[in-house]
Amino acid sequence: MSVRHALLALLSEGPKYGLQLRQEFEARTGDVWPLNVGQVYTTLQRLERDGLVEADDTTEEGPQKGFHITEDGAAELAQWLRTPPDFSSPPRDELVIKVLVALGLPGVDIHDVVQVHRRYLVELMQQWTRLKEDESRFDLNFALVVDAELFRLDSLLRWLDTAEGRLKRAAAGVDAPLPQAGPLPKARRKVGNRS
Amino acid sequence: MSVGVLERPGTTGAPEPSGGVPARRAMVRWAWRLFRREWRQQLLILLLVVVAVAAVVVGSAVATNTPPPAGAGFGTAHDLATFNLSTPTAKSPSRSPAAVERQIALLRRRFGTVQVIENETLTVPGSTQTYQLRSQDPRGPYGGPMLQLLSGRSPRGPKEIAVTPGLASELNLQVGDTWSQGGKTVVGIVQNPQNLLDDFALVPPGQLQHPSQVTVLFDAPDSALKTLPAGLNVATVATAANHNLINPSTIVLALATVGMLLIALVSIGGFTVLAQRRLRALGMLESMGATDRNVRLVLEANGVIVGAVGALAGFAVGLAAWLAYRPYNEQSAHHLIAVFALPWKVIVPAMVLAVVATFFAAGYPARAVTRVPVVVALAGRPAPPRQIHRSLLPGVIALVLGFVFFSLSGAQRNGGGATWLIPGFVALVAGIILVSPFFLVLLARIGRRSPVAVRLPLRDMARYRARSGSALSAISVGVLIAVVVCAVAVARYSNAFDYVGPNLAPNELAVYTPPTGPTFGPSGESRPATPAPSVSSQQDTARAIASSVGARDVYALESPAAGLQNPSGSGRQWSGQIYVATPALLRAYGIDPSSIPSDVDVLSSRPGLAGSGVQLTYGGGIGGNGGGGSSLGPGGPGGPGGQGGTNPCPPGSCLAHPVVQAESRLPSGTSAPNTVITESALRRLHVAADSSLQGWMVEGANPITSAQITNARSVAASNDLSIESKNEAPASAEIVDWATVFAIALALGILAMSVGLLRSETASDLRTLTAAGASSRTRRSLTAVTAGGLAFLGALLGAVAAYVGLVGWYRSNPLEGGLSDLFDHVPWTNLFLIVIAMPLVAVLVGWVLAGRDPSGIATRPME
Amino acid sequence: MSYLELHDVSKTYGDGIAQVHALQGVALSVDAGSLVAVMGASGSGKSTLLTIAGSLEDPTRGEVFVDGRPLSTLSRNGKARLRRQSIGYVFQDYNLLAGLSALENVSLPLELDGVAARKAQGVALEALEDFGLTDRASHFPDQLSGGERQRVAIARAVVGGRRLLLADEPSGALDSTNAEAVMRQILAACHRGMAAVVVTHDAQLASWADRVVFLRDGRIVDQTMPAQRPEAFLADLPNA
Repeated sequence: MSVRHALLALLSEGPKYGLQLRQEFEARTGDVWPLNVGQVYTTLQRLERDGLVEADDTTEEGPQKGFHITEDGAAELAQWLRTPPDFSSPPRDELVIKVLVALGLPGVDIHDVVQVHRRYLVELMQQWTRLKEDESRFDLNFALVVDAELFRLDSLLRWLDTAEGRLKRAAAGVDAPLPQAGPLPKARRKVGNRS
Repeated sequence: MSVGVLERPGTTGAPEPSGGVPARRAMVRWAWRLFRREWRQQLLILLLVVVAVAAVVVGSAVATNTPPPAGAGFGTAHDLATFNLSTPTAKSPSRSPAAVERQIALLRRRFGTVQVIENETLTVPGSTQTYQLRSQDPRGPYGGPMLQLLSGRSPRGPKEIAVTPGLASELNLQVGDTWSQGGKTVVGIVQNPQNLLDDFALVPPGQLQHPSQVTVLFDAPDSALKTLPAGLNVATVATAANHNLINPSTIVLALATVGMLLIALVSIGGFTVLAQRRLRALGMLESMGATDRNVRLVLEANGVIVGAVGALAGFAVGLAAWLAYRPYNEQSAHHLIAVFALPWKVIVPAMVLAVVATFFAAGYPARAVTRVPVVVALAGRPAPPRQIHRSLLPGVIALVLGFVFFSLSGAQRNGGGATWLIPGFVALVAGIILVSPFFLVLLARIGRRSPVAVRLPLRDMARYRARSGSALSAISVGVLIAVVVCAVAVARYSNAFDYVGPNLAPNELAVYTPPTGPTFGPSGESRPATPAPSVSSQQDTARAIASSVGARDVYALESPAAGLQNPSGSGRQWSGQIYVATPALLRAYGIDPSSIPSDVDVLSSRPGLAGSGVQLTYGGGIGGNGGGGSSLGPGGPGGPGGQGGTNPCPPGSCLAHPVVQAESRLPSGTSAPNTVITESALRRLHVAADSSLQGWMVEGANPITSAQITNARSVAASNDLSIESKNEAPASAEIVDWATVFAIALALGILAMSVGLLRSETASDLRTLTAAGASSRTRRSLTAVTAGGLAFLGALLGAVAAYVGLVGWYRSNPLEGGLSDLFDHVPWTNLFLIVIAMPLVAVLVGWVLAGRDPSGIATRPME
Repeated sequence: MSYLELHDVSKTYGDGIAQVHALQGVALSVDAGSLVAVMGASGSGKSTLLTIAGSLEDPTRGEVFVDGRPLSTLSRNGKARLRRQSIGYVFQDYNLLAGLSALENVSLPLELDGVAARKAQGVALEALEDFGLTDRASHFPDQLSGGERQRVAIARAVVGGRRLLLADEPSGALDSTNAEAVMRQILAACHRGMAAVVVTHDAQLASWADRVVFLRDGRIVDQTMPAQRPEAFLADLPNA
């Protein structure tokens, strides 16, 4: 999560004070990512240094100091929104590593390992889903965050399901290598031979 | 907070397990919605019912309304007495008016209310046509239905008269004109609604000076009739009607029953497909807690709805057709027919039968559906076809039962066999239904090595036998009936002794001298009698009739004191009149009398008589020559006592081996001289002197019109003669051809409906085949093989079952000539048409019609 | 009080070489007001579990109690009655009878149970009202969207004070928004005191349950622990 760009985005709505920035950030991410005041000010100073935001003319320091976005800042924000995150290199996912390691270890039931992680993931998803139940505190931003989390966990679960299925078939010897590609058998004269 | 919690009426008590009335109402409601939503799928069944019920309505209405009404001539009275005043006959001796008055007074004393109608027969000036001058009270207690005022008013007083439309046009009269005799004024036009041919002039009661005939209408209890004085000529409505058990409505009802049976058979297939399509919905219903009874109710209610809607629509269509046809029917039947004079006793049972038929047809798959596990039903997978029941035994047992019942029926004499005939037919039909799966499987097995386009449809027919079996059975039943009719007709018509067929050719008319028996017909229609006229005056009358119909020839019919008889006492005995082969008779048919060898005794146009061993009786030994050709019934002159033995043929009064020569130029009608005894034979046997005059045969140059017949009848009647014209009896070829056409049309119709149904179920196969590259040839072949296979198998089974029954009947029936009668006259042509040609047509039609785009065929209907 | 109890339930299909053990010694108890999800790969016996719990199939071994009544003691008609009085079914798709309106579909189980049509439809209308489907009451199934059809099906499954709601992939053919609406509705039914079992392979659906049971090769292999209160869960989240 880029706090830097999140603050730029908030400032693009109009000039804001530092304290206000922190409150709005937390509100919009559904209190899922708490932010401390120090983090806000360090980030703002860096933004100011890079010429992406400017402090208001008032020299007053502290939470009451106002900031506004510059043209460079707006351009940077626009650029960032459209730049895809780096998905090209696979992350070293811990879950994947654990399953791969378990596969090689003698005396470890791989299904047990998979099930433990599966259960944990489902329990986590239950927790996130439970947050959705209370509709009174359920605003759009929060919903998007929760959905993102659920889908992320869901994708891991699906990987586990697939992995388990593949392991099962491998154990049964079903996944024999495909036959060498060659000419298809000659078509016979008859349409088919139902028996 | 609770969602719709409610007090259940019966959770604690002992509620009906199936949810009682509300559940049944919900099921029927759903069935009704299903019918409305999916009426297209049910259209074929619906159409079948509509057509059948409409046909019953029109057919029964025409059949029961065409013959004269039972009470014609009686009005509303129960009994009628007639008195002939001027022209006594043996039956109604002459009486003085005073004697008649006394008799009428007696009747009035005995029975209270009577109505007297007097008639005087007059001749239309310048014409041979006669009419009645009639005195009848229009407000009389009984005569109302015999008198209807068309225009003007009823005559009152001695100066007024009313006439019928026919008489009015004959005499060129209108209301207000003057009547030629007695200065009367025509004040109205009247008619007899029960007989539009009854031409008369109406005067008020008591106006006739010289009535020739008096009719007295009265109501008498049955017991009282026996105590009436002898010589009183009394007829009763009860004797007129109801002495014909095989009346038109019985026949129509029997046909309707067979028709509904066929509908039930055909629609089983349709309902099975429907039930299959609804399997998921029915599974859903069960998962919701519907019991088996609820599920059955849905399907059965659907069947009843289809039947009821079809019956009502059919009734409406039939009624409309009848109302449109009624005026024409009135014209041809010569009496008025009330708008709603419908035979409800036939129509209502037929409509009920339609509902019953669809109820059972829909209920048949319902039982199968409730056996499908809910889980399978919910998955929407069709249940795997049940293991096909391959045993032939039950079917064979049913066929054997049919054989036995037919044998029992044949063994009954005097028409009592009908009681066994019905179970016989039922057993044969059941046998067909039970053996058909075996043959379907057999067919599939025979086709196992054939190309896929033949193998696949044959196997589908065997796999989905609920559907193919119903179509097969329906075809078989139709063919069964047709083949029975063909075989019986051919065998019956080729019996040389008891000859049946049309009585006369359309251009022939027979004029008979008065018979010696009672003349008073059951219809109560009285015939004016004249004193036994001389032969010469009769001859004159016959010639007058002949000239009025434009006759080419007229010759006397002489009856010899000799007869023919079947040498065997069993089997059908001789029937029909034989005549003397007078030179006039022979010449009339272009036969030169001198060309007949002198040793020939009998000439006949009856096929097969020459080789039948017929015996010629004469003198005191007359055995077979019954009088007047009224011997179609069993127990003829030979008598049942002679069964199994031989008829006596004592030398001196019987010629055991007369020389019979086939002569096809003689007329073939049963009342025409189809068999004649040569004069040389009579001379040899010395019986010529006993020849008696029977009447005259009038040979017209053209077919005789009904107007000419009407006129001839009245001329003959006024001279105490009677005439016979061509009746409606069908010829053998007519019956056989119609039966064949019926079977072929029925089978093709059933195929048209059921092949589509059968193939729709396997439409996904067709889609797969098309995807696999099958051409339209394959598609055509699939349909053609299905149609041809069903047609051939159905026709074969039907024909075989028919002969099973026929053999049973013929081998035991004393009237028929045993099995040879059946097997000597097999209608090969018709059997070929039904069993071979019809399936070929089915193949051809299937081939031609199946060229459609498979997407249209393969699309599954939305659920 | 548990509305559904499975005691050592086994189910075997076929025999000989084609024998399939769909369920082996399954024990499960679902209390009033709780939602249990059953997860497992296809062929793990999930659907069989549901059909046996709903009396549509009989177990080969073991006993099923619905609302305290053992199913093995009930006749075919008795089971049918139990289904219309105590059990509500929701299937993946094709839940409604074509030809009956939404209202009539919902009132059908009541009518099957002998409640007069007018009264049953009144109760059904209340149920539709509760699920916000009042304006769809007179629509026929083919006039409803997929999500609406499924919600009407749930209304039918809960109407008339049923005890047990059984759902087999209730949102199988729906998008995630409609799927969520369906699960919210099932949850609402549980909050009113029903016991519900949802069979699914979709973790997002299963995560609505109080308890998720994992089925593999016809056996229950695992189940989740009860969840924390949302506030506690959020407080424990590590800072980004």
